[in-house]
Amino acid sequence: MSSVQTTLPPQTGQHGFRLRSTHVRQFMMGFYILIFFAYLFGPLVMMSATAFNDNTYPQVAPWNGFTLKWFEELITDSFMVEGFINSLVIGAGVVCLAVPFGLAGALMLSQIHHKVRSIYYVIVVSPILTPGVIIGISTLVFWDWMGLMLDADFESPFYNGIWLTIIGQATFISSYTLLIFLARLQRFDSTLEEAALDLGASHVQVFWQVLVPFLKPALISAAVLAFLTSFENYNTTVFTIQAESTLTTVLASKVRLGITPAVSALAVLIISLTLVGAAVHEVLRRRERTEVKVG
Amino acid sequence: MSANVELENLNIRFGDFHAVKDVNLNIRDGEFFSFLGPSGCGKTTILRAVSGFNDPTEGAIYIGGENMLGSGPNERPTALVFQSLALFPLMSVADNISFGLKVRGVGKVQRRKKADELLEMIALSDQGDKLPSELSGGQRQRVAIARALAVEPKVLLLDEPLSALDLKLREHMRTELRRIQQRVGITFIYITHDQGEALTMSDRIAVMSHGVMQQVGSAQDIYDNPATSFVASFVGENNPINGTVIAAEEGYVSLKTDFGELRGRNERGLQPGDRATLFIRPQNLCLSERGDFDNCIQTTVNDQEFEGEFEHLYLAGDSRNLVVSLINDGAIPQFSNGSPISVGFHSDRAVVLPAGEMAYE
Repeated sequence: MSSVQTTLPPQTGQHGFRLRSTHVRQFMMGFYILIFFAYLFGPLVMMSATAFNDNTYPQVAPWNGFTLKWFEELITDSFMVEGFINSLVIGAGVVCLAVPFGLAGALMLSQIHHKVRSIYYVIVVSPILTPGVIIGISTLVFWDWMGLMLDADFESPFYNGIWLTIIGQATFISSYTLLIFLARLQRFDSTLEEAALDLGASHVQVFWQVLVPFLKPALISAAVLAFLTSFENYNTTVFTIQAESTLTTVLASKVRLGITPAVSALAVLIISLTLVGAAVHEVLRRRERTEVKVG
Repeated sequence: MSANVELENLNIRFGDFHAVKDVNLNIRDGEFFSFLGPSGCGKTTILRAVSGFNDPTEGAIYIGGENMLGSGPNERPTALVFQSLALFPLMSVADNISFGLKVRGVGKVQRRKKADELLEMIALSDQGDKLPSELSGGQRQRVAIARALAVEPKVLLLDEPLSALDLKLREHMRTELRRIQQRVGITFIYITHDQGEALTMSDRIAVMSHGVMQQVGSAQDIYDNPATSFVASFVGENNPINGTVIAAEEGYVSLKTDFGELRGRNERGLQPGDRATLFIRPQNLCLSERGDFDNCIQTTVNDQEFEGEFEHLYLAGDSRNLVVSLINDGAIPQFSNGSPISVGFHSDRAVVLPAGEMAYE
């Protein structure tokens, strides 16, 4: 008979600290996470602080006292407000173009013959790889030519900065939305389409009653992504905007001409909006989830 | 309400692949008709051609006498129950059922009324507001059928709808399907690779192999009088014994086989010299000592298997094991593997067919 031996931990009363490899690993991990978040949020925190400092230049030290006057200056700055409104208009315009373009491109990609699929894919994704500057310049040159050829009026959309910016940004933002739709479409069961057709639906009805409800999450993400990408775009906009201005071009010119803490105040507003939006979304999502569980 | 479906010289090719070859068939009004065959035999292709998802390369499809050429799936008086069911995952069960009415512009109240009627028929009255994902497999199955019936099709097409269910539920759904068909009285075209389903439910069955329709007939017809070696080997258990015809007289032929001379029914006009296969079912083979048989096979036992009502003997055959199924009367002797045995059968129980493709290779 061979006895089975089990190794038990030594039964001792001592509780002395012993450094183990896991302790080192945990310490390194904690340190890394600390640095990670400091790097990520440090600038934002600093910038937010400068918005409340009574100092003519955005800096934290010396602290000259708490003030809200930069917020006041921000909303009375007509350039800034005009640029902000233009950015909203352009963002909305880009959503209206890029979402249907991206959806059409993704649908085409999922139905096109497999032999040309890879070529088509490269073509529709190429605007993402093209530098924004190039897109901006070419948009400007192309529509200028079109305007010349059609002998268009100088007040026409061919020369309008807002229109050209919407079109220019939409060329590459459509590729982003296309990728979002593509990911969602890959999980679409095409027999659902066949089932709807078989039950007598027309192709239009299949699109609106079967495909669009399925794509709804992707439609929302694509619209949000398109808007945000448009809102923060500078490279393309700087060429296409011409006489008009957007928030990014106003900020850029401010940096060149001397920056005030009003810019920090704007940053605080944007950060707070983002945080509030994210928090509301999370709360609603949790509430919906518990409702589903109860129901 | 119902309509006959006529397939006229139907040929369907996908590139070089000839999926359906020269199918001529008339499926009658209100008939429960099954296409039976192994996967890849072309049965689903026929179904998709009838519902309008792919066009025949040659030939025509008539439903109720009307040529369906050029009519899309949404213009045909057919409804298809998909193998994957294809229920709309984001719509409630009632919305799924009434989808076909909604796209036809039927009002909300009437839609709900029809959905409630159908829900009652499939015994899911209180489940209309649930999502399909909240139902069990068998319930989803019934919803898919109700959804197809809601549009009041003249022909209901079913593509292996029971394949995802477990055995017990499948058997229950067979009866259920048959009941629904008798109740609504429309033509059902059923696709399956499961012969049990085809035999129990169908008025008539077409057995398919490699795009060719091998035989059309009632369940009894196909089981008792198979027309080809493929049908004989595919439908039910059967023991093939290969040989050459040496004599043919009065509806019977004698074959020279590895087990000596054997006799069976000559349904296909075989002549002396033809290569042929004799098929005898496991339940028609008996131990020779228990009766007076016209045919005897001397061979050895490979295995013996007890299965309650039956006991199966596996004997050395000419190409594969011969299976003998004996009713368990409590007096079946135990054989050791390799021991000699003699089994016999009556000539009228065996059918002799021209040598040809078998369902198992």
